[in-house]
Amino acid sequence: MSPFSNEGCEVSTGFLFSHPCGLPAGALCPRCGKSVCDAHLTTQQEALVCTGCAMLGDEDPEDDGSTTTDSDDASAYYDDYGYYGSGSSWARGSSKDPHDFTEADGESLRHEDDSSFEEDLGGS
Amino acid sequence: MAGARWLIYALGGGMGHFTRACGLARVAARRGHRVTVVTNSVFAPDVPLEDVLGAGAHVHRLNPDLAKSAVREAVECLLDGVRPEVLVVDTFPRGLAGELAPMLPGLRMGKVLVHRDLNPTYVARFNVAAAVEDFDLLLVPGEDAPFSQHPRAVRTAPWLLLERDEWLSRAQARERLGVAADDIRPLVAVMGSGNAEEVAEAGAIATRLQERLGASAPVRWLAPPGPWFPVRAPSSGAPERNVLQPVRVWPALAVMPGVDILVGAGGYNTVQEARVTGTPLVALARARRYDRQAVRLRPEELARTEAELMERVAALVGPRSARAPETYSGGARDAVALIERTVLNA
Repeated sequence: MSPFSNEGCEVSTGFLFSHPCGLPAGALCPRCGKSVCDAHLTTQQEALVCTGCAMLGDEDPEDDGSTTTDSDDASAYYDDYGYYGSGSSWARGSSKDPHDFTEADGESLRHEDDSSFEEDLGGS
Repeated sequence: MAGARWLIYALGGGMGHFTRACGLARVAARRGHRVTVVTNSVFAPDVPLEDVLGAGAHVHRLNPDLAKSAVREAVECLLDGVRPEVLVVDTFPRGLAGELAPMLPGLRMGKVLVHRDLNPTYVARFNVAAAVEDFDLLLVPGEDAPFSQHPRAVRTAPWLLLERDEWLSRAQARERLGVAADDIRPLVAVMGSGNAEEVAEAGAIATRLQERLGASAPVRWLAPPGPWFPVRAPSSGAPERNVLQPVRVWPALAVMPGVDILVGAGGYNTVQEARVTGTPLVALARARRYDRQAVRLRPEELARTEAELMERVAALVGPRSARAPETYSGGARDAVALIERTVLNA
């Protein structure tokens, strides 16, 4: 039995509310030391690391933050939209904005995964 | 181009889509354009939209119970019948039922999207980005939106149904809401909107608020015309004791100068009308499929529970808080000018 099997994966996840993944962990990330499940384990430079460290490792130190956009594809203008984009007051400062959602906000967003988009014509 | 034919697609539930659309339509009609607004809201049959639109604009009310295929057919018929020179689509680039997406590339007219916040899951899952590319102009009226950085996107101030000189004065508004001229207490108004259930719930909240506030402030339950008003007075007995009766008000923006604290939900019009008129707002974020009211509401506006809402209103009633300054700037007028300049005269 894996020594990690009783420990939950510690990688942060969640679309609305950031929380530890919690699935059974099978490895330790050599960079951050977190317990990691199979789903949050990935390869980077031939080493197995957690997805959080992989994302940090992907950042190009020479990247000045500017992006190029393809004017034929509107999704190029959408990449950083969510809660909200980089040009918004919601997005300034740290990721721990005091306006961040809490679980109490979840009720008003409960349809986010709803498959009834474009089906319920009175539900907008 | 003066006197162009406009079709404004305002399908969607509640009152938000047709209210915003009519705000644009009446300005366009006054500029000499011939405007048709299409809505399928359950509120639309009872609301006298033509009264605020005036001559030059027409409302086409689709049955809210139409199935998806029937909506598609109705929209095709309207496009064929109106033959618009400009098509304005509110909120849904693909159409409410996705019916516009396959039509848009072949439509030979100016195409304008009224672009607002949309559920990111919907945007990603239904490739809304592709539909956005079919529009000549994206108008972003007063709030952030997924494609507000698009090169054809232009921000405007919020669009309201009434211009500043159409609002009632404070004294007229309070009189309209049944407050005596010598009554100087702050007035709390609970806005009924969203759907029939939420209009009724607004009445219950207003009743409980009046019990909580007692004599310190009168409370009014505002409701648009609809089935919650009895057709005629009850034949026997007085109204149930202590239960507030709705005040028939539409458009509610007209009476906002007389309201000291507005209680409602986080829909576009309620929020923008409160902010533009400087009226303090305390609101519950209601669940919607596409619209994210919790995102729109500011922390000082958002009440997470009814208990919190009661406390926030009571605190606002206590030491009389000054209204914020008005910020009206005619976003709908700017939008019509932009459409004329960049789409019709292109």
